[in-house]
Amino acid sequence: MEEESQVEEDFEVEETLRELVVPGEILSEKTKDFMPGRGTMFNKDKTKIISLMLGLKSIKNNYINVIPLKGIYTPQPGDKVIALVVDKNPVKYKCNINAKDFAQLKPKNTIKREKGRMGRMTRSKGYGQEDASTERFDIGDILIVKVLSADRLNKPELTTIGKYLGKKNGGIVISIDPPKIPRVIGRNGSMIKMLKNLTNCNIFVTQNGRIWIRGDNIAYERLLIDAIHKIEREAHTTGLTDRVQAFIKSEKIKRGIN
Amino acid sequence: MVLLIKDEYPEKLFREDGKRLDGRDKNELRPIKMEVGVLNNADGSAYLEWGNNKIFAAVFGPRDVHPHHLAKPDRGILRVFYRMATYSVFERKRPAPGRREKEISMIIADCIEPILFLELYPGTCFEVFIEVIDADGGTRCASTTVASLALADAGVPMKSLVTSVAVGKINGELVVDLSGIEDKAGEADLPLAITWFNEEISLLQFDGAMNLDQLDEFLILAKDAISKIYEKQLFALKNKYIAIQEDIEKETIQNNNGGED
Amino acid sequence: MMDIKRVISTIERKYIKNNLKKEERIDNRGLWDYRDLKIKADIITSAEGSADVMLGDTRIITGLKYDVGNPFPDLPDEGVCTVMAELLPLASPLFERGPPDEQSIELARVVDRGIRHADCVQTKKLCIKEKEAVYILFLDMYVINHDGNLIDCGGVSALTTLISAKIPEGRWTENGLEWTGKYLTGENLVNELPIVITYGKIDDIIFVDPILPEELVSDGKISISVTESKITSIQKSGKVTFTFDEIRMLGKKSIEIGQKIRKELNLWQYKTEI
Repeated sequence: MEEESQVEEDFEVEETLRELVVPGEILSEKTKDFMPGRGTMFNKDKTKIISLMLGLKSIKNNYINVIPLKGIYTPQPGDKVIALVVDKNPVKYKCNINAKDFAQLKPKNTIKREKGRMGRMTRSKGYGQEDASTERFDIGDILIVKVLSADRLNKPELTTIGKYLGKKNGGIVISIDPPKIPRVIGRNGSMIKMLKNLTNCNIFVTQNGRIWIRGDNIAYERLLIDAIHKIEREAHTTGLTDRVQAFIKSEKIKRGIN
Repeated sequence: MVLLIKDEYPEKLFREDGKRLDGRDKNELRPIKMEVGVLNNADGSAYLEWGNNKIFAAVFGPRDVHPHHLAKPDRGILRVFYRMATYSVFERKRPAPGRREKEISMIIADCIEPILFLELYPGTCFEVFIEVIDADGGTRCASTTVASLALADAGVPMKSLVTSVAVGKINGELVVDLSGIEDKAGEADLPLAITWFNEEISLLQFDGAMNLDQLDEFLILAKDAISKIYEKQLFALKNKYIAIQEDIEKETIQNNNGGED
Repeated sequence: MMDIKRVISTIERKYIKNNLKKEERIDNRGLWDYRDLKIKADIITSAEGSADVMLGDTRIITGLKYDVGNPFPDLPDEGVCTVMAELLPLASPLFERGPPDEQSIELARVVDRGIRHADCVQTKKLCIKEKEAVYILFLDMYVINHDGNLIDCGGVSALTTLISAKIPEGRWTENGLEWTGKYLTGENLVNELPIVITYGKIDDIIFVDPILPEELVSDGKISISVTESKITSIQKSGKVTFTFDEIRMLGKKSIEIGQKIRKELNLWQYKTEI
């Protein structure tokens, strides 16, 4: 299988309806013209390029790729994800991030920087110092975190240090298939802007398929959740943003909310 | 168990008109229906009806291994659990798994493992649960076929699907896809599975007696039947998404027509 | 070791509780509303009766098998009906492989008692020869998908299975046990239609038919089995406590809900025609 870094394909270009392919399906026999990209490989005789998953076929720069429709999240350093604390001990928190492994959050990566007098940030002097403090989390807490490191053999490392990161005290988290997250954001953020405007909810979309939302009331939240599930279900189709917009508008009328 | 109607095996497995007892020709498959994504708590799932067989398959993984000592540090492991419901057979089966179920679990796992990329998932496992809720011959073949669909539905990278069928000999004639009665009363039974990646056999068993010519015929019959079943697997996998696309197109046409008034 | 699937997040817990205080449930139901029930009967060709029931997304497929054996010494002219339940791992990551655990035993026993104490099955009709040969019926419930409230779904599944029954009829002759060529059906055997209704309680709010997240957040539950006019079985489980008035209210509510469900489902439509 080819390295994922060679391709940046995702669902963003929604004008073209791509072909749906399944594991083992022959994508091309023109092995002189094309190379196997993400989600594909050569067959045993190297005479064909075949798909390794259920997804959408896409060709870019002579690489044939398959964009998966389902699958667990693969942590990449720098990703913002939503973590659920499932266990803790004095040296670390164990977090579920919807990946093949549990991730670790060490206390040193939960240190909050305090603003000193005159609004200047003081340098964090470490654990136990007066102008720095670690957050304390409990089992069941929902945290917005950033992935510090992740590789094949080691458990991913997380941090809550950074803008917008940390524990959530309210709202609700829903999960969709991680590969479909780009559709919830949309080209240049068009989908998520529309969702926010029409439902008046706060939305935080993260890479591991989890979305945090909070609205004015449960009726708006339910509508937004239904809209997101519609996006998930129809992620492989075109014209999605317009259809979801029409759906929300007509549901508002049906449900008697405004 | 004491039953009032006995499970009897007729001697003649062909009718006067030359067809099999259920009306089929020698190389005819029973009706097969497949569906994916039927169980929403599993990572991937599929359901299959094959003749009277009814089988669910669900996949979980990659996930932690219990008990922990079974985990391998350099690759993932695959575990398959083939089970039959107590009411799936003529004489009620004990609820606890028996030796036959454990043997079948193993051969299905051996058949599926080569198409997976377990080295990408060190320290974790994939678990495939197969539950036969109604059985009528050829359950191990049907189970292998539906398990491969469930794995594809889960988005697990695979080199290809796996397809399986049983061929056999009844009243001296070679036939495809043995039903329950034919399996019990017939003379030979050969379940077989192919992985499409290299078009090679990954599951093979045989009980009965055959000469070399018959072995050759069996393999030809099986390959032909398996190709037909593979088409149905492909259809089931794609249909889930194509159906959604078609619904959207219908809706759009309706909306457009409505708008023209 | 804590398993992620058993950990419900604190914000979800808060979300459910805060909304319940406003009598809002996450799936837009009222406190006394059931999810939709979908029923298919007689679907398993190998079984002598079966039902595939979905309560919302919770799905249980039950099958009926029989044996002929000796009766219990204290009930020499009555047959026996036993209920078993399996929580299949494919139904939920919360279910582990292995022999029946507390949850599956509770499911089997609560459904069993609801049927038994309603005199649902006419066990005297299950007698072939007094002291010698009676039917032993096995009602085996398999949970195929778990989205909360296995008990109520199981109750309808088990009851519909009995109604769909088609068991070979036996008679005792000098040659021993023989098949008459006819069948005992649900119509012959089923007398009463018990319905079991389960309520969850979170803080002080009681609601019917808990969906899975509500079940995981609840302090406990109570299941009440009813016939058209009587309460036949009650089981409270979990840490939850109820006031005397709440119990009186739930008794009354259960009879009403039971009547409503019985009427809507019209379960006799699922009997097997000979």
